[in-house]
Amino acid sequence: AEGFRLLGILDVQNTPCARDAILHGAGGSLAAGLLHFLATSRVKRSFDVGFAGFMLTTLGSWFYCRMNNAKLRVQQRMIQDGIKNKVVYEGSVLDPTNKPGAPGPS
Amino acid sequence: MAHPSQLGFQDAASPVMEELLHFHDHALMIVFLISTLVLYIIVAMVTTKLTNKYILDSQEIEIIWTVLPAVILILIALPSLRILYLMDEINDPHLTIKAMGHQWYWSYEYTDYEDLGFDSYMIPTQDLTPGQFRLLEADHRMVIPVESPIRVLVSAEDVLHSWAVPALGVKMDAVPGRLNQTAFIASRPGVFYGQCSEICGANHSFMPIVVEAVPLEHFENWSSLMLEDA
Repeated sequence: AEGFRLLGILDVQNTPCARDAILHGAGGSLAAGLLHFLATSRVKRSFDVGFAGFMLTTLGSWFYCRMNNAKLRVQQRMIQDGIKNKVVYEGSVLDPTNKPGAPGPS
Repeated sequence: MAHPSQLGFQDAASPVMEELLHFHDHALMIVFLISTLVLYIIVAMVTTKLTNKYILDSQEIEIIWTVLPAVILILIALPSLRILYLMDEINDPHLTIKAMGHQWYWSYEYTDYEDLGFDSYMIPTQDLTPGQFRLLEADHRMVIPVESPIRVLVSAEDVLHSWAVPALGVKMDAVPGRLNQTAFIASRPGVFYGQCSEICGANHSFMPIVVEAVPLEHFENWSSLMLEDA
């Protein structure tokens, strides 16, 4: 389904990690800007700090989530290959369950 | 296949297309953040009352806005090059198919084991049955076994064409007198549509490509039937 696009380009509903990254960014921006304002009472500078907080939090959350997804994808592919090749490898040296073969002649 | 007023990519049907989708998301997030930054700077510059008529230079900001874009470009370039080389890998194909472009239809040759060849013409709009897609359906589909590496050799018999299937992440120019090679794996069964992607005359928009990925035994049955009919 067509999702809502931020700035007309970023589909936050259908792009994995996008929605969480933007929400984390918004929260981080609010926290950073508010804390700075409470500490310094400078409005414009607090907006700038808030925006910097948005960029950094969004980037951080985005990369963290994408890295985890990439690792999960690699694991998923390995599991798929393992299931596909289970029958082929069973009883051989490549069998991950390491069932020992029949003992050879003594 | 594509749906009306679609902006993004179609769902991926091959591992390479999955990687391309992920890279696109990565690049798009960077683009989105840069656009937000520019928008913010514009608003800040337009709403400020501060002016300084005597600035001559500022080393710090010059360093920042030289180094930061370079870092961003490297962040984009590294996954991009990785995928570029990934797309060039040909991992021992199980099947080789020749796709020949003509004015205005495609012909497919499966000559690995037997001599199987057929033409693939677009189904005209007036001949469509309910549920079929206008300008996308073809009378004979290119059937392939699912989860098998397929090599496609693309060429043309007359003028330039281009064999493209977006869902599989494949596009290769069909040049007369030249044999171009591409490879893909269909990771799920399904029907995937594409259209000729190089202007080739009056009916350039009316020579679609339809790839049908089926389990191996269905592919074997299909090829036996096609050989009998030939």
